[in-house]
Amino acid sequence: MLQFVVSGLAIGAVYGLIGMALAITFYVTRIINFAQGQMMMATVMVTAELYAAGYPTWAAAILGLGCAAVLGVLSYLIAVRPILAFNRFSFGWLVSTLGFAVILENAAAYIWGPTSQAFPSMFEETSFHLFGAVLTGQQLLAISTAAVLTAGFELVRRGTLFGKIGMATAADPEMATAVGVNTTVVAIVAFAASALYAGVAGLLIGPTTFANPYLGDTFGTFGFIAMMIGGGTEKPIAAMFGGLLLGVCAEGANAMINSQASDWFPFIVLVVVLIASPRGLFSAGNLFRSRGRAAAAAEA
Amino acid sequence: METERIEAPRAPSALAGAGFKPRLRTIGVALFVAAYLAATALVARSDLGVQSLVLVAAVFGILAISLDLVAGMLGLYSLGQGGFFAIGAYFTTIVVNSLGWNVFLVLLIVLAVAGVTGLAVGAMSLRVSGLYFAITTFIFTLVLTVLATDLKITGGLQGLLGPAFPDFPGGLEALGTPVAWCVMLALLLCIGFVWSIRQSPLYPVLLSIRDAERFAEAAGARTSLIKIGVFGVSAAMAGGAGWLFSFLGVVSPGQFDWAVSLNILVMVLIGGINTTPGPVIGAAFVSMFPALVNINPWVQEMVYGALSILAVTLLPGGVMSLLKRVAALGGGAASEAEPAVSAFGGTDAPVEAGLFRKFAAGSAGAARAGVPEPEYAVECRGIQFSYGTGLKVLRDVDLAVKRGHIHGLIGPNGSGKSTLANVIAGRLQPLAGATLIKGVRVDGASPSKRAKLGMRRTFQAAELVRELTPIQNVMVGLFDLMPRIIQRAAFWPFLPSGRRDLAWMEGRSREALEMVGAGAWVGRAVGDVPHGVEQLTQLASVCVAGPDIIILDEPATGLSAREVDHLAEILTHLKAQGVTMIIIEHQTRFLFPICDRVTVLNAGEVILTGTADEVRAHPVVRQVYLGE
Repeated sequence: MLQFVVSGLAIGAVYGLIGMALAITFYVTRIINFAQGQMMMATVMVTAELYAAGYPTWAAAILGLGCAAVLGVLSYLIAVRPILAFNRFSFGWLVSTLGFAVILENAAAYIWGPTSQAFPSMFEETSFHLFGAVLTGQQLLAISTAAVLTAGFELVRRGTLFGKIGMATAADPEMATAVGVNTTVVAIVAFAASALYAGVAGLLIGPTTFANPYLGDTFGTFGFIAMMIGGGTEKPIAAMFGGLLLGVCAEGANAMINSQASDWFPFIVLVVVLIASPRGLFSAGNLFRSRGRAAAAAEA
Repeated sequence: METERIEAPRAPSALAGAGFKPRLRTIGVALFVAAYLAATALVARSDLGVQSLVLVAAVFGILAISLDLVAGMLGLYSLGQGGFFAIGAYFTTIVVNSLGWNVFLVLLIVLAVAGVTGLAVGAMSLRVSGLYFAITTFIFTLVLTVLATDLKITGGLQGLLGPAFPDFPGGLEALGTPVAWCVMLALLLCIGFVWSIRQSPLYPVLLSIRDAERFAEAAGARTSLIKIGVFGVSAAMAGGAGWLFSFLGVVSPGQFDWAVSLNILVMVLIGGINTTPGPVIGAAFVSMFPALVNINPWVQEMVYGALSILAVTLLPGGVMSLLKRVAALGGGAASEAEPAVSAFGGTDAPVEAGLFRKFAAGSAGAARAGVPEPEYAVECRGIQFSYGTGLKVLRDVDLAVKRGHIHGLIGPNGSGKSTLANVIAGRLQPLAGATLIKGVRVDGASPSKRAKLGMRRTFQAAELVRELTPIQNVMVGLFDLMPRIIQRAAFWPFLPSGRRDLAWMEGRSREALEMVGAGAWVGRAVGDVPHGVEQLTQLASVCVAGPDIIILDEPATGLSAREVDHLAEILTHLKAQGVTMIIIEHQTRFLFPICDRVTVLNAGEVILTGTADEVRAHPVVRQVYLGE
């Protein structure tokens, strides 16, 4: 029982980080970056490649993250900005961010081939015993990293001027521009940061999954589910809670139903959550808090 | 009151000289169908490689049309088309392979199942609009793909081999492969279906639901029902495409996943959204692309990704917008002369009084002769309203508007005027109090239901479809007067009654525009006309229905002094025809001379109701509103 909760939290932390990555860009630009999973994949591939070439693990990881950040900014400049500049409410980004994902995924498959490659593990053979459950060093690292990054995001958002500028841009980009905010810079920073979050998720899960060009698809989808369950479209940190819940549900399904159940059980959770509370479980305006405010906002 | 009642929707008044263009169109349609059938015969007799290429493209053509039906006309970006497609394909394969039912019977069941699923998904996801609709339908496709992969009956990742299509009966073998005919005819049917809708008066209504939902609602359209219904049709169409697809080979989860749904959107956007040929062109290009370039599959995918980014960033209107621009260059200088941009296109001529008789109160509605007309057109009793749980915006408001009166509603910004108008029109439901229209209690009735009682309204910021002409916009106002628009839309141009009714609607809309003095602007899109003409178009779209009651929300905002005089003249003429009006306005110089009664609101309370002179003389009004 406790075992699947613990391992669920560990994998859920990874889903949550990708969910937060999706939510951060959504927060600032109101678009969903379908290439987010591919940022994670790129980090994993580049790190594995550099490690194989003889770099120390930490250097390979940092360069891999840097690569993801660059790709994140490129995805904004190439696939998002031109469309929002033409019409802020158009849906062309559905197509262009998917196009960007297709390019990244197939470029990786072209360069490295479709098979998996070795990925450096960070805490070999370390494990802790906790009330009868076993927690590997890697899992502990995942949970603690996710906690630090989630808290860090919230601190920056609430406590710094840049965070407030981000909130202003999220609420009304035109108004933010009018008071002197450079929304392009805000968006670039948001896309770089979200790519970093996705990249960190990749580093945390890489030792388990190994490096594969198609990683982005699966984890992108689960990150998306995490965001929707949690309600990350309204509040990015809600995506992390959604991810943790999702991880526990998936591991729980594996333990209780059968070993394939984690393939489909999360989708059932998602559908049930969305029917009960379309805005997600941990956002404002959900089932457990007042609906009045949301209704008033919708009418105004 | 004596008003001349025009025998409406039946009388074809504007048919003279309208015979030429339809005949030309008939010839065009006949030529297109003949060429299409000839091409089909060619495909049906060609070798299997070419056939499968063309047929897969045609199936995706149907899918792209089904998406364009909701995305182009209603602005609902569905990512669920892949899911409905999967329902059709798997259902057909499983039922035909295991039970051996007749494939055409299965088609009917597939259409029904996909359609009903579409209605259910639509009803659920339209609670949340816009982006959330895309997300919910996306999740729908995700879930179906997971089911298809993990269930035993669907054959897992390998999928199932689709059933065989029945052969032609004896004597017809010379026509070639039967499934080719079936696919191509289905595509033709779908093209004809959306083409007919675009020719019908439903088209401007759908576009107004997309761009100006409140306008469509106020014209009597039940917008949520229409949205869900059209989405159901689109889902059935995608299910039908799945039925066709199952005869073309293997059915497996990878052919229906969310990337396929997005590819269908790529097709629509590349070809040209909200055009009839665009989706088909896009589908042909995208599905034939791999066969045409024939390079390393990974490089080919990368090129495809790059092309789709380029298409949506550099060519948002798709191939069709490019073609239109080329055609415009070739067609050259046939553009009409620009009407003068002075007041309402230079309508200095006195307003033509005769035209107004056609638009008298109740002129186009059902005959209500014999029923005693109540004294009050609109009554509000003790209306209370607040947004959310906040401050009361309306506190115990009473309002009584006599039939045939022009009733002014004034008050400082934030005094609750527009809120009261929204309560009367049915957009907002009050917390307490009663609303009566013509003596009938209408508490809880929707805006479209109140529109049917002969009430129309305008909006402070004009709500119109900017890509349509003023005539098409005004036609939206006739929606609830013309019977069976929705039922007939699928084959409108092929019905004699459709052609006759459309001509009548166009004629009446043109007259309404002439009546308000915007007759010079009928030819161009609303997005290209000056602000004043936009306001007049809004007014015409209200008058065209011959309503008994009109609510005007700040009609004079942004108009020049001369335009305001013109507006006052129009309203006076309307009043002479027995129309009751409630006018919210800040410009008392415009409002007071035409008003019978004026109600002053302040901070959600009625200060006073009286004649213009009484209001002008009242000390509190002078203090809080007139600023003296």
